[in-house]
Amino acid sequence: MRKKQKNIIVFGAATLLLALCQVSFAQKKFNDTITIRETVVTATRTEKSIGDIPVPVQVIGRKYIQQTGSQKLSDILQQQAGLVLADNPLGQSLQGYPNPFGSGIQMQGLDPAYTLILLDGEPLTGRNAGILNLGRIAVGNIQQIEIIKGPATSLYGSDALAGVINIITEKPDHNSTLLKVHRASNNTWGLTASNTIKTNKAALELFANRYSSGGYDLDENIYGKTADPYRNYSFAAKLFYNIDARTELRSSVRLFTQKQFNNYLVYTSNQPEAVDGSSNETDWSVNNQLQHRFNQKTNLVSRLYLTGYRDNATVYLQKNDSLFDRSFLGQFLVKPELQLELGKKQNEQLITGIGYNYETIDASRYASEKQFNSFYIYSQKEWLPLNNLNITIGARMDKHSLYKAQFNPKLALAYKPTSRLTVMASVGTGFKAPDFRQQFLFFTNSLVGYTLLGANELNNGLIQLKQQGQIDPSVDISPYLTDHSLLPERSVGTNLGFRWNYSNDTKINFDVFRNDISHLIDRYNLPFTKTNNQSIYSYVNVNRVYTQGATVNISQKLCSFLNLDAGYQYLDAKDKDVLQRIKDGAVVKRDPVTFQSDYVKAKEYGGLFNRSKHSANLQLIYFNKHHWLNARASAVYRGRFGYSDINGDNILDDDREYVKGYVLLNANVSIAFRNGLRIQTGSENILDHEDKDKLPNLSGRTFFVNCSLDLNKIFSKNKNNILQ
Amino acid sequence: MKKMIYSSVAIAIAAMLTLNSCSKDDAVVITTIQKTDSVKVNFSSNSPFTFFSFKNDAIVANSDSASTNWDFGLRFTTFILNSHTYGPGNAGAILQNTIYSNVTTAPDNGYAYDTASSQKAIKDGSWYDYNVATHAFAPKAGQTFIFRTADNHYVKMELLAVDYEPFVGPAPVRLIYRFRYTYQSSGAKNF
Repeated sequence: MRKKQKNIIVFGAATLLLALCQVSFAQKKFNDTITIRETVVTATRTEKSIGDIPVPVQVIGRKYIQQTGSQKLSDILQQQAGLVLADNPLGQSLQGYPNPFGSGIQMQGLDPAYTLILLDGEPLTGRNAGILNLGRIAVGNIQQIEIIKGPATSLYGSDALAGVINIITEKPDHNSTLLKVHRASNNTWGLTASNTIKTNKAALELFANRYSSGGYDLDENIYGKTADPYRNYSFAAKLFYNIDARTELRSSVRLFTQKQFNNYLVYTSNQPEAVDGSSNETDWSVNNQLQHRFNQKTNLVSRLYLTGYRDNATVYLQKNDSLFDRSFLGQFLVKPELQLELGKKQNEQLITGIGYNYETIDASRYASEKQFNSFYIYSQKEWLPLNNLNITIGARMDKHSLYKAQFNPKLALAYKPTSRLTVMASVGTGFKAPDFRQQFLFFTNSLVGYTLLGANELNNGLIQLKQQGQIDPSVDISPYLTDHSLLPERSVGTNLGFRWNYSNDTKINFDVFRNDISHLIDRYNLPFTKTNNQSIYSYVNVNRVYTQGATVNISQKLCSFLNLDAGYQYLDAKDKDVLQRIKDGAVVKRDPVTFQSDYVKAKEYGGLFNRSKHSANLQLIYFNKHHWLNARASAVYRGRFGYSDINGDNILDDDREYVKGYVLLNANVSIAFRNGLRIQTGSENILDHEDKDKLPNLSGRTFFVNCSLDLNKIFSKNKNNILQ
Repeated sequence: MKKMIYSSVAIAIAAMLTLNSCSKDDAVVITTIQKTDSVKVNFSSNSPFTFFSFKNDAIVANSDSASTNWDFGLRFTTFILNSHTYGPGNAGAILQNTIYSNVTTAPDNGYAYDTASSQKAIKDGSWYDYNVATHAFAPKAGQTFIFRTADNHYVKMELLAVDYEPFVGPAPVRLIYRFRYTYQSSGAKNF
């Protein structure tokens, strides 16, 4: 029955598309839309045309975001070639509840913690075990999303190993007043209002968004919802002010607050008890930038960025309203920075910057509030030794109070044999500072009784446990009282590829990548136990892994009203130490059914968990002659990926350890009216793919309606350009 | 001179052959007991151990804990042995990184004892992988325990699985250990 339903939907969608094609064929051919020269700032820290950038870059524009109809950044990102929405490897969905650490974007086969996420060029704080909740970023005022693949540490410092995702909000460049309403399944509401006022010298944009979801429940037999309901508010104000012809001030403030309503079962003295409560996230930032152009060759940019994050979670026992658990995480960052740009020609610039970070962090699982500071300096020079050859060399030095100085260079080449083809090659290093958890955790599990100690707390923690009698007096803890501080994780990344505008209708992007990561931090248990016989865990630099693969993206104009975008990524990501151990005959598996033990062969090793060898995406966009009718259908395929070990060897080497591949299918139609009203309706996850055990972060099929109204259009006389 | 070397080599080979045939004769009298068992073990760290006898392939009553009738005791994921701190026997253990079927002889020495309650022969956490998310204890594959029993016999044992006995509520009451072993009743070290 279910299958039949799916077939009907697929068939229906196909017929609809064919019908649309035919209708439009009958219409006259219309002039192609003017191609706008896309510019990107993230790749070089200055505005640059996409064709000149020597590293793989992807840009998601406002129009694309509008076409998806989505209000969720993660949904938009996972429809890009090579970006996979993956669960945090630290947690696991369990007993009908999703992974407590959420999911994030996996790039070039590296976990979400290895991609730097920037908002208007500045980092967001408040990652939960490495994962930044992308729901904190409202979609409504995004101008474009720039995705740089490959290490970008030489410009951005820690965390940019796999690459950078920079979310750039709208420039207040024309008067507008927009109202948007989003209504979707699961009692989801999105309300957006924005207003831009522009004068000769100044422009001001105000933006507000309210988004709420009723959550969803994939398994009624389990108490509570799979995903809890929540409601959030975002406010942003942005001011651009031209002080004089050469000096510009850009100031923005942002505030996000979210309340999630939690209700689940806990167990106290062996009895199930319902608890309810909430977790409250607050995230704010202030971003000031003053830019002065001394002359045609010299530009100075000074920035001051402040941001803070706080999450308070409290749950109470339902029966008597007594406090059951309280936890919090607070983070604060101040970042002044100065950047000097020298050089007349856009492609022969020298950029130099210096900056300083002051950071504090405080969390319920840490022993006390921590403070750090770091100082950094970066520089990048571009040359054009030949007319069609661009060489970029950059490097950055980070001196952090917790670990030794990090030096990260990068070399990139772009060669343009013809105006339509850019061949790129780049190699660079990257690093990721040990995260706070790995350094400062001081946590004892109340149910089982094991203790987790961050590397920097090992010394204190062991002494304290021993004093409290939790470690037997006969145990010699002295070998663990020496310096155990962690080294940053390091990588070397290489990218080779090309951007080929084969014709006006066909564009092909191809990229081959390889990342070698060393000093990966992993958990280990100490060789002695506590007096309750439970283990003590800490963190150490151990693993060496590599990820390599290829990404291809083809954009093809099928006919005057139909665009096709297809992307594919092949990925191979393995642990080098595991490969060596397999070679040494040191990895043994035991079948969970037959209990037969055997050595693991190299060809059986499936690599790192949570990674799909094959992933693909397809998008078909229809627009009619006057652009008042649009339709979009998209499919995201995620090939099978490793979930968890079942045969006692802790590696992925058995077919039963995989989650089956699946397809997410989305489609929508939108109509734009001349008076500035735009209505869009569609469905996401049309095939209703659900897996309550292994993919609880994925809700079933949903439907949505979007209405947006441009008040300026209603009152303006010129009503021709309806899509702007 | 050359001849002398050849002849001495020949003698050496002959001697080795005779030695080999001697040990082969010994091997004929091997008497091993092979078993696969499933034993319930308390989860709580305050509850009693479950004692096991390889010779009798049976659980030994807690009242008998002061005797040499048991070889190892198990509670939660903690092994104790019948010697030193915990019993009058002579039990010892070696945890070897070898596939069970490839273990053909018990080592002559190197057996560890429980010298203190916090210094156990079999270190907790050494033989399993604990999954923090699912709370599963998975015995590491390719590891074989070699025991000397309380009364000086040799056993090789492999832990096959550790499961939770079905329970209501959150904290489990018992774990179910599945293991197989080969007991050499002759007192020899071969399996």
